[in-house]
Amino acid sequence: MDMQSFLVTFWIGVVGLSLLLYVVLDGFDLGVGILSLVAREEDQRGLMMTSLSSVWDANETWLVLLGGVLFGAFPPIYAALLQGLYIPVTLMLFALIMRGVAFEVRHASRRKWVWNLTFGVGSLGAAITQGMILGALIQGWPTLAGNYAGNSWHWFTPFTVLTALGVVLGYALMGAGWLILKSTGTMQDHAYRRGFWLLLGTVAIGALVLALTPMHNTHVASRWTGSSALPYLLTGVVAMLAALLTLWAYLKRNEYWPFLGTLLLFVVSFISLVVSLYPYAIIPGLTWNAGAASSGTQLFMLVGILPLLPIMLIYNSYLYLVFSGKVDETASETER
Amino acid sequence: MEATLVTDLSRAQFALTALFHILWPVLSIGLSIFLVVIEALWLKTGDADYYHHARFWAKLFVLNFSVGVVTGLPLEFEFGTNWAEFSRFAGDFFGAVLGFEGAMAFMLEAGFLGIMLLGWKRVPRAIHFFATLMVATGASLSALWIMMANSWMQTPAGGSVVNGRFVVNDFWAAMFNPNMIWGVSHMWVAALETGCFVVGGVSAWYILKERHPAFFMKSFKLALLAVVLIAPLQIYLGDGSGKSVFNYQPAKGAAIEGHWDTNSVDQGAAWAVVAWPNAEQGGNDWEITIPNALSLLATNRWDGQVKGLLEFAPQDRPPMLPLLFYSFRLMVVIGFYFFGLMAVSLWHAWRHGWQESAWQSRTWLLRGWLWAVPLSYVAVEMGWIVREVGRQPWLIYGVLRTSEGASQLPASSVMFSIAGFALLYVMLAIGFFIFARRWLRKGPDLTLEPPPSHRAESTHLKERR
Repeated sequence: MDMQSFLVTFWIGVVGLSLLLYVVLDGFDLGVGILSLVAREEDQRGLMMTSLSSVWDANETWLVLLGGVLFGAFPPIYAALLQGLYIPVTLMLFALIMRGVAFEVRHASRRKWVWNLTFGVGSLGAAITQGMILGALIQGWPTLAGNYAGNSWHWFTPFTVLTALGVVLGYALMGAGWLILKSTGTMQDHAYRRGFWLLLGTVAIGALVLALTPMHNTHVASRWTGSSALPYLLTGVVAMLAALLTLWAYLKRNEYWPFLGTLLLFVVSFISLVVSLYPYAIIPGLTWNAGAASSGTQLFMLVGILPLLPIMLIYNSYLYLVFSGKVDETASETER
Repeated sequence: MEATLVTDLSRAQFALTALFHILWPVLSIGLSIFLVVIEALWLKTGDADYYHHARFWAKLFVLNFSVGVVTGLPLEFEFGTNWAEFSRFAGDFFGAVLGFEGAMAFMLEAGFLGIMLLGWKRVPRAIHFFATLMVATGASLSALWIMMANSWMQTPAGGSVVNGRFVVNDFWAAMFNPNMIWGVSHMWVAALETGCFVVGGVSAWYILKERHPAFFMKSFKLALLAVVLIAPLQIYLGDGSGKSVFNYQPAKGAAIEGHWDTNSVDQGAAWAVVAWPNAEQGGNDWEITIPNALSLLATNRWDGQVKGLLEFAPQDRPPMLPLLFYSFRLMVVIGFYFFGLMAVSLWHAWRHGWQESAWQSRTWLLRGWLWAVPLSYVAVEMGWIVREVGRQPWLIYGVLRTSEGASQLPASSVMFSIAGFALLYVMLAIGFFIFARRWLRKGPDLTLEPPPSHRAESTHLKERR
């Protein structure tokens, strides 16, 4: 492998890792927000937000890292992606702003319900727009010198509505898993019951998206058929096993595996999607290779960022370790 | 026509989001360093007041930091959404620096913030202090990378344009471009100054209201002592930045000063104290000048030559000249107000000591500190207007015009996003002020029990034995 293709592969890996970590970490975070919309009591909503108070900043930061490394290592892809998805990206930012503000202001507010609602709506909005972006990426869009050439509503189709629904359900499912880990009593009970139905919903929508993907993307269709199909079939089997494992955990009322099983399901689906789309970043016009920064830049960034990656992973794990265990509204409020 | 409209809309949006965003990091940077100092003092002296200070200011910090996080996110994506052509053109350097910023600084801040805020009883004192230190380091590193990227747009270096794209051949030269040291230091010290005046101003308010005056005299004293260094330093750095502008961005310098005609070699350039620059007439409608002063300011020499705006083609001159002219003057006036406030306060401390009563009897002086709080933000905003409007019509000075860097978008999309940001930011600002006011009224919680130190526990055990 020559230097250039090594560098491009390395940076696809880092972009992929930041995106994956963002999707699973902010995913459960947003999922808890979505679930807070259907929580029956105000106390429960408060407890849900408290369970995230120490980690949401860090989770959202993976999106910042993603934006930064994508811009640095693949400037044309960064540019084409954001310009081509102007409206959904902007809407996602609005949703994330609402959510972040609700988080910090709620503590000092007398009218907590306003901020709880803002938090829930922001979380739902972020999940919907991210789901539409996912759908748009699977469909691809025509580009001309990097700029989108075509209908500016390409990201709003029946297919992207379906992927948005899938992401909303999937995030809520991860959120339920997180709440099972972090809560006890009735709240945990609700999380078990909601999570069970969310699992069935996520798997159903996921299967539908899977079935429709080859119709929207001929590149993926050719990947998934013929001689190259075997690895994808295997990942499909692993995804199915992960779903079954999660189902078993819900039926057995296990505390850890509803979350971990869903995590596994997400990781497998994510990796097989990225691999299916490779070598394209934006189908049909832009490949990762064509969209890469010069080797000099990629090397410069590698020297600067590679040593930091393990440190980042370690202190983020430490953060989760320090704040592990069940949440208790009173304790956490006084500590603040 | 559509293209110019979209460029202007994108500029308006960037101005709105950047001017709003910068309000928060300046305090995050300054206050995070104050928190490190205060926690170090607590660890060193064991004085519970310092612990209570740390807890009190941390509440303001987290609120401020969160707004900074959520308003910073759009900026990182706007380079792609609204300035896609710029991102493609300059990504090789600019994107890499933003990548560093994301990886180093932001991860440090956000990763350790949870421990700093909620971890007082969960982690040992030393780890907590380390977390506070990392949050402060992250905030300052963030400023370093962002100002490095911005200074490169002011004075691009380290590469050349190949096939319509900027290709870096010397990263070192690009990072340490001519404006870098000035840009980074002027902004960083501005953040420290804002932090000092927010801490000092809020403390002065409590002293004035006679609420915990002895407690707040401690933070006031720290802020004043820091400003003794910072206020003159900032004036020096501002002067240096100005000279760097005249050196590397002469059209920008001339525009800031309303200087139209290049002075002849044997005659110094006059400095317009106040004037009304008129771009259409190619001169100032009226002006009050000091002979030779501009030569002195720009070149350090009594009769140094300073290029006038008329030397540059009209399409290469910055727009909005009166805005530039007066933003700059307002910033400078505020800088000297800070210096004066510091000098008078220092004299007062010298003569009357640090007794609260002595300060309370001089309400005008404490009120001067209250005024310094909003003024420090005004100075930062004015500085950014001068820096960014002055760079026009270039996105990358002398290399890429702003109109060449904008994304091709439907104007309606950008109008929609501007409206959304404006609405959200107004709500955000109102929300922040309501809660900052509540925080101020509530005051510090002096009943909080400091977490026990592990060493204290073990020596206690030893004594018992």
